Formats: sequence, C-alpha cells, structure tokens
Amino acid sequence: MMKVYDAVVIGAGHAGAEAAHALAKLNKKTLLTTLSAEAVAFMACNPNIGGTAKGHLVKEIDALGGIMGEIADKATIQVRMLNRAGGEAVHSLRAQVDKNLYHRLMKERLEETPNLDVLETEITDILFEDGAVTGVTTAPGDVIKARAVVIATGVYLDSRIITGGYERKTGPAGFMRSETLGKKLAERGIAIRRFKTGTPMRVLAGSVDFDEMELQPGEEGLPTFSALTEGGVRNDCNCYLTYTNAETHRIILSNLDRAPLYNGNISGIGPRYCPSIETKVVRFKDKERHQIFVEPEGTDTREMYIQGMSTSLPFDVQEQMLHTVKGLTHAKITRYGYAIEYDCMDPKCLNAALGVKGFSGLYAAGQINGSSGYEEAAAQGLIAGINAARYLDGAEPVVLTRGAAYTGVLIDDLVTKGTEEPYRMMTSRAEYRLRLRQDNADIRLMDLAHSVGMSDEKRYVKYLKKKEEIAEIKALLPALRFTSDVVSGAGINPGDSQKTSFSATELIKMGVKIEQILLLAPELERFMTESVVTAVIDIKYAGYLEKEEKRVREEARLNGTKIPEDIDYSAVGGLRIEAREKLVAVRPMTVGQASRISGVNSADITVLLIYLKKFGTNK
Amino acid sequence: MSDLIVGTATARGSSAVSIVRISGDNAAETASKIFFKKGLDLAGAEANKMYLGKIVAGIVSDKAFCMYCRAPKSYTGEDVVEFHLHGGRVVAEAVTEALMKLGARPAEPGEFTRRAYLNGKMSLSEAEGVEAMIAADSEAEAAAAYRALSGELDRTIRSVASLLVEAAAATDVALDYPDEMIEDTKPQIYDALSKAKSTLERVIGTETERKMTFDGISVVLAGLVNAGKSSLMNALCGADRAIVTEYAGTTRDVLRERLEINGVKVTLSDTAGIRENAEGAEKIGIERAEEAVRGADVVLFVMDGSVPECDEERALYNKVKTRAHIRVKNKGDLKDYPREADVTVSCLTGENIDKLRRLIAEKTGIRAMANPPLVRERQLFAAQGALRAVDEALDKLVSGTPDIVSHHIKEALALLAALTGDDAAESVVDEIFSRFCVGK
Repeated sequence: MMKVYDAVVIGAGHAGAEAAHALAKLNKKTLLTTLSAEAVAFMACNPNIGGTAKGHLVKEIDALGGIMGEIADKATIQVRMLNRAGGEAVHSLRAQVDKNLYHRLMKERLEETPNLDVLETEITDILFEDGAVTGVTTAPGDVIKARAVVIATGVYLDSRIITGGYERKTGPAGFMRSETLGKKLAERGIAIRRFKTGTPMRVLAGSVDFDEMELQPGEEGLPTFSALTEGGVRNDCNCYLTYTNAETHRIILSNLDRAPLYNGNISGIGPRYCPSIETKVVRFKDKERHQIFVEPEGTDTREMYIQGMSTSLPFDVQEQMLHTVKGLTHAKITRYGYAIEYDCMDPKCLNAALGVKGFSGLYAAGQINGSSGYEEAAAQGLIAGINAARYLDGAEPVVLTRGAAYTGVLIDDLVTKGTEEPYRMMTSRAEYRLRLRQDNADIRLMDLAHSVGMSDEKRYVKYLKKKEEIAEIKALLPALRFTSDVVSGAGINPGDSQKTSFSATELIKMGVKIEQILLLAPELERFMTESVVTAVIDIKYAGYLEKEEKRVREEARLNGTKIPEDIDYSAVGGLRIEAREKLVAVRPMTVGQASRISGVNSADITVLLIYLKKFGTNK
Repeated sequence: MSDLIVGTATARGSSAVSIVRISGDNAAETASKIFFKKGLDLAGAEANKMYLGKIVAGIVSDKAFCMYCRAPKSYTGEDVVEFHLHGGRVVAEAVTEALMKLGARPAEPGEFTRRAYLNGKMSLSEAEGVEAMIAADSEAEAAAAYRALSGELDRTIRSVASLLVEAAAATDVALDYPDEMIEDTKPQIYDALSKAKSTLERVIGTETERKMTFDGISVVLAGLVNAGKSSLMNALCGADRAIVTEYAGTTRDVLRERLEINGVKVTLSDTAGIRENAEGAEKIGIERAEEAVRGADVVLFVMDGSVPECDEERALYNKVKTRAHIRVKNKGDLKDYPREADVTVSCLTGENIDKLRRLIAEKTGIRAMANPPLVRERQLFAAQGALRAVDEALDKLVSGTPDIVSHHIKEALALLAALTGDDAAESVVDEIFSRFCVGK
C-alpha cells in the first residue's frame, strides 16, 4: 500500500531532526527518513554543543520550540560559559556532550513524537507536478506521497572520505552515502558544488597522560540551554589542554607531499575557520605552537576527541605527529582523522524561507545549504520545518530578520550573500550583537513561536512570567539607592565620584557585575535569576540597544516591503545592469533582502520601491 | 516613521534668501530647538504659515522665517519645516550644521522628492519623471562620488577603513575564539584606532580648510564711490566682469565672481561704492554692500590714490578695520597722494596685482593643502561620525568590554563603508582568518 504523508524530511541529522519535529508539532503527518537509524542526530565531529554564536543559536532554537537545547542539556557532561571577559552580549554557553547519549535521546524523542514516523531508507528522487512537490522515490522504487519535502542530507551526497592516499566512498564515520539524489537535484537545474571539511583523530583515554596537560574543569551555577530543563545539568567530566611543538610542525611540513590538501587530491573548498593542522602550520609559520584540546566523547566510551588536530595526513604521519605532543606521546589512536568531500547546493537557490526557488513545497536545511555545524543545521531545520508546515497550511512563511535572531542572520547570509566555504555562525557576523544575546532569546522570539504554534504551555508561561519580572525589576532598580559606604563595603570601587549615594541603575552603568548587584539588593532574590540577568544587561547597554533598535526599525520598513515572486526585473526601468543581474540571481523576497545584496545600491533600491509602488504590487 | 533629513532647497551661493528644510520624524520638535518666537509652540502651531522669529545656530543668530507643514499635507508627505534665511552661505550652513547636531542627516540627492513620491504625494503620471530624475541623480552621484573618492582621498578613506577592519578583527577574534586567542590584542587595537583617528582628523580638516574646499573664501571689495573697485575686480579676475565707467556710483548691486587663488575657490564680490545721500537703487545697493562686508572673510578696502584722503574714507575705514582686511591703494599709475596702504596697485598696468593675490592668500590662510578635506556634506557627515565612534572605541578600550569596543569600531566602519561601498562585516571576518590562527 502506498505511503501517504503531509511531509517527508530526507535525512535525520541535526537539521532533519528539528525539521521533522517541527512539522509533526504543527500537526503535519511527517516521515523522517535516514540512511541508517544509527546515524540519527549523530555528532560526527566534535562532542560539544554551543560556544560562541552557536550557543546563541541553541537558545533561539529552544525559544522557537525546537528540541536541540533540551536534548543537549540531558546529554551534557561538562559545561562552561565562554567569553566572560568579552561582555554580556557575547557570553556563550558551551557544553561537552555525551555523543552516544545525545543520539539515543534524540532518536527516542523523535520516535515518541506524535504525527512522526522514522524510517530507515534511501530517498533517490523527489517527485514534482507542475513545479510542486508530490512525493519522493525510495531506492527500491517505492513512491511515498507528500506535498512538502525538506532536504536535510548533510554531507552524505556523493561524499568521499580521504586520509593520505587512501579514500573511501562513504559518509562520515563509515555510514552509507547517497549516490543518486544529488545527481537528480542537479538534473532538475539546482546548482551543486563541492565542499570539504574534516575531523581529527580520536584516542583511547587510558593511553593519555592527563597529568601532563592543563586541566579544564566545568563551571557551576550556569544557566541551561532549554527553559524546560530543571535542576541543572551533569557537570563532572574534564577537558584538557596541551600544545603542538616544533617537532610536530617539522613532521607535518616534511610530509606535505603526502597531504591530500596539498598534493591536489582534494579539490573541495574547506572552511577557513576549521583549518586542518597541516593548514595551520603552513599558513602560520611563525606560530611556535598550536592549542590542542583533549575532550571526552562520552561516558559510555573511553574515546577522547583531539580538538585542534583535524587532518587528512596519512595514518603513519598522524601517529608520528600526535606522539610529539605532551600528554599524547603514547596515545593509542582509535579512529584516524580524515577529510570529507561532499556535494551541496549554492544557497542562493533558496529564498529567505529556506524554500528552493522555483519548486513549491521543497525546502532545504543544514550542510546541504553550504553551512557547517550542528547548531547551524538545527536552526535551519527548525525554520525549514516550520515553513514547510506553513506552506501546507497556505500560510505566510516565517522569516526571521537580522535584528531578531542569529538564526535570521544565518539564513539571510546564506540565501542573500551565498557562501564560498562551509558557513559557520560567528558573533562578528551579527550587526546587532548587543541585542541578540542568549539571555534574551526567549524575549526576542517567543511571541513569534506562540503565534505560529511552536511554543508549549510550560515554556510560554515561564516566558510571560520572565517578561513581567523584567519590567518589574527595571522599575525597581532606579529606586534602589545605596550609600557610598555600603557600595565600597561590598567591594565595589565607586571610582573618583564625589557622590554620597548611588542608585542600582547607576552602579550597573558603572559596570558593576550582576552578582554584586544581587548581594547589595536582596530584594531581587524573589525574581528568577534569568529575569534579573536580562534586566541588568538591558540597563547596562540601554543607550546602545536604543541605537540598534532604531536601525532595526529602519530596516523593518524595507523588510516589510515584499517583492512579488514573479517580478520581471527587465521591466524595472532605471536599474543598473549589475543590480539587475544580482536581483535576478537572488530573487529576494523583500526589498530589505534586496538591499543587502552586494552590488545593489541605494539608488537601485529606490527605483525598485518606486516600481513596486507604481504597479500597486505593494502596500 | 522616517528619519529626519536636512537639505538646502535653494542654490548655494548668491541669493537674497536661502531655504533650509527638514523632513521626517520630530521635524517640528527639532526645529523649535533653534527657532524662537515668543509664545510660539511650533509643533502645535497653525501649519503652512510663515512665522517671523529668531534663529540661533551655533555662532549665528539672525532673523528668519519659519514654516511648518504638518504631515501629510507637505511636499514630502511627512512633517516638514522650512527655514527662510538670509542669503549667502554662512547662515544656511550654520543652520544645517545645527540641525545635523540635533540628529538630522544630510539628504541624499533627490531624497525629498523620492519621499514625496513614496508617500503618495505625486501622481502616477509623474512616476517616470521621478525615476528618470533618480537615475540621473544616481549617475551624477556616482560620478561625483567617483571624483571625490578617486585618487588621494579614496586611498586615505580606504586606509582608515582597513585600519578599522584590523581593529575590529583584533577585537572580534577574541570574542569568537575566546578559548584559542591567548595573546592580548589590545595594543594592536589601540594602535590601529589611534592611527585611524589621526588620519580622520586630517581628512576632516579644520573649519577653515573645509570652508575653503566647500565654498571658497569670500573676499569683498569695499570703498568709496569711484575708488576703482570694479576695475580691480576685473583685474583680479583677468576679465571684464564688472561694468566700469568714469561715473561714480555705476555699480549698484553686489556682483560676484569666482576665481581661484592657490587652487582655492574665492568668491570675489564687487559692491556699490559708499556715499552719503545716495537715493533709490543706489541706496539699496549701499545697504547690500554693507551686508556683504559683514559676511566677508576678507575685505579689500580700496582707496583712490589719485585723490587726497577724506573724512568719509576714514569713517568707512573705521567700519571695515574690525574685520580681516587689506588696504589697497588703487590708481597707482595716476597721481600719488600719500596713504597708509598694504599694497599699491594699478589696474591699468597690472602692477602689483599678483602681489595682491599673494596678500589675499596670506590673509585667509589659503595654502596648498596636503590633504584636501572631504568635499561633500555627506562625506563630511560620515567622517565626523566615524571620528566620534573611533574616539568612543578608544575610550571603551580602557573602561568598557570588548563587545562595546567592537560596537563602536563597526559603527565607524559602517559610516565609511557608505563612502567606499565595501561590505564591512565580511571584511572583518576575512581579516580574522587571514591574521589569526583560530579554528579547531
């Protein structure tokens, strides 16, 4: 009997899991397919979730009703807050995660989700009628009907794994790859390109001299990724820091002729931010040593991840260079590092809803879109899932703006600017960095989540409470005054001020830390910590936030001006040729998006606005 | 909801009246901070009515008309305030600058008209016209921007931008790679910012340098009737610009001519000669002459050396001498009565005309400029904003956190990117990876 679903999600990695969960949550009968049930939400590379900008993404996913944050909290074995010295806007939560546990918990969660079926099968083609999705075909030739499809195939399309002169035609970690689907996409006119990335070796904990390395313990008292997590997370595993040295570098340099990255065997474009050790040594010759972090892969395994030594050098060279590093001199490798090359799409073929332009009902998320990273994939998966569901409902897509979320920056960068390397989220990419913080992800996004049906009761009630408390605290703080004696008694340096007393607001603006404010003002204890944190940061950054707010509002006017999908740019008089070409290539959904395309200037935007207004296609 | 823009509606330079207008949010509130009339609350006042009052803008304080057009019944469809000011650049410039300080930004070419169109103040049939105008504007704009940014100035602005990119990358790399960036990048950030600051200061130039570049120096010829001012004007311009007759009082209105001295624009104004008992047009001419003298950067006090000094001349000199001036004894080829003068010239033979040019140059501080200041208000606005942001960044480097430092550096970069058209955010990311060894 033919299977009939509302939607099919191809691939059950971090993007696919969120997409399928969102679709099911929005009451769409959903099928999630995977080449291997053992590869569901598999962490193929580093065993951590979060970090700079990525931690922000996870908080946003949680605010939008996604599941990565919840599962990550449950699988956490060590947690830290990065960037304490950088300022509150860039505080970034990072968790070491038990990768097998994460996989198991996510798989279980998906299996338990109503409206969602998980099926191990290979999808070889997507079926269309009149440009609209009608279903998919499986490798054995069965047709599964669905009006919406999310492609979340990760690095599995025509992938190739390379270590030295040895290569295997598989997906990561030996999982089966997909050989047909990529070709079918190309046949349908979607631009396919080749990217590469890599992973370091794993070693056996028993063979590592931990006492020769610097200990990196976790931190206590940190917030969690998910608002639903209660009672904190597990935090009893350690990471270790060590360094490469001159001998390591000598071995690498003398074996460059055997390095696939340098002997022409790898042609895919690799990410600059995730360089292999051979790339680092070649590009930064003056650097005497590079950091190596040794991190546990989980609690049910003795394997350790050697962060900083991503490589595709031959097996014997990997052994040699690893053994020059302090603490790893007789480390036993359990898995060698490798480079992986894979097919992905040029994300400019997507619209801002993550829909593939020219194909109704077809969405894409994750590494297929040229991104990299678990968190980036999950954030896209969530939005693609929500928008696939909204497509089925005939509703307007959800498009997050750059001023609303890192997720918005991520998607806008991909679909508007495109990317020439696997794209990683960085805080420097966000122009509203002081506003897009992890502490206020819920404040920024939960009204939206609620309105599209993604928020659950528990999260939403907590959010409303937090919002109320923030308002209360903001009203309270200016009225709380402390004498300069009390202030200096609390160990706060009041500077050269002649004032005899300070309001809490003044102290915050002077840079006094949240913990110290809490000590001075016990009346704040009745509020949730997260409410105090957001209120205090908002006050500290008030002037800056106002400026950002003003720019966001200006941008919102352009973002609110839609461009009809069928616009004929050749009919828009007055556009410069370059601008016309770029607009035709990107086909932006809004004038705001158009304004961010490089090569489109403000005069072009004005001409476009006038054209849209003249033809009454815009309100 | 639209930001406040300011522009001069009338042509720059010589006109009896110049109009400066603003359009956008809080136009009336902003205007009421520089325009004062007893008992008048502009925001609540009757619209489309001219109010006579006082305008106070920086050092300028003058009588002016002010008109408030309340949205949507205005040219742009937004709240608009027009100031009708005395002609000449001084007042209009001071008012524009004061409005910019209050948050208005200089309008882009044609922006008032564009807003009018977008707010539905123009009919559809006018659309093509507007489009053509904008296309023309943008071409003119592009050409102007190219000219302005070609050569020296372009290289300077780009060098500042690249210093800022360096500073931003050095700040951001630690924020995006806190675990891996162990070296302290503060000295590098400080260095790059300090260099950017001093270059920006040089580019912006002093007030005088800017005036020289924007509008030139105003030099006014003044003197008694028949002192030979018009002849001197023609001699300085090297052309018969002013009508010269032997009859005293030939020049009635103020006549202006542009010329260059040491490559700097100079507006030379010939005025009606001053004499008692003048009537009608001549009398008005004399009033205007006196006004021109008040607005001059340098006054050339012209004396007829062929006649003896008189009380009238001394009296007039007393009025002029409080201003920067040069005493020019004219008709040096004719009879030579003694006078205290800085230079004696002959318009007939051309004697000492070059010397007079040199004196004008010295007096006004005109010199060949090593770094021409920015030439357009928009560029100046951007550079000044960038300088303020760089100052803030330097301050926060000491007293703030890196996220705030980065905020200010990027603010400066965004302003300069508007001049160079580069994608600032992408350059910072590129810089991070080319300079620092980060990434797992």
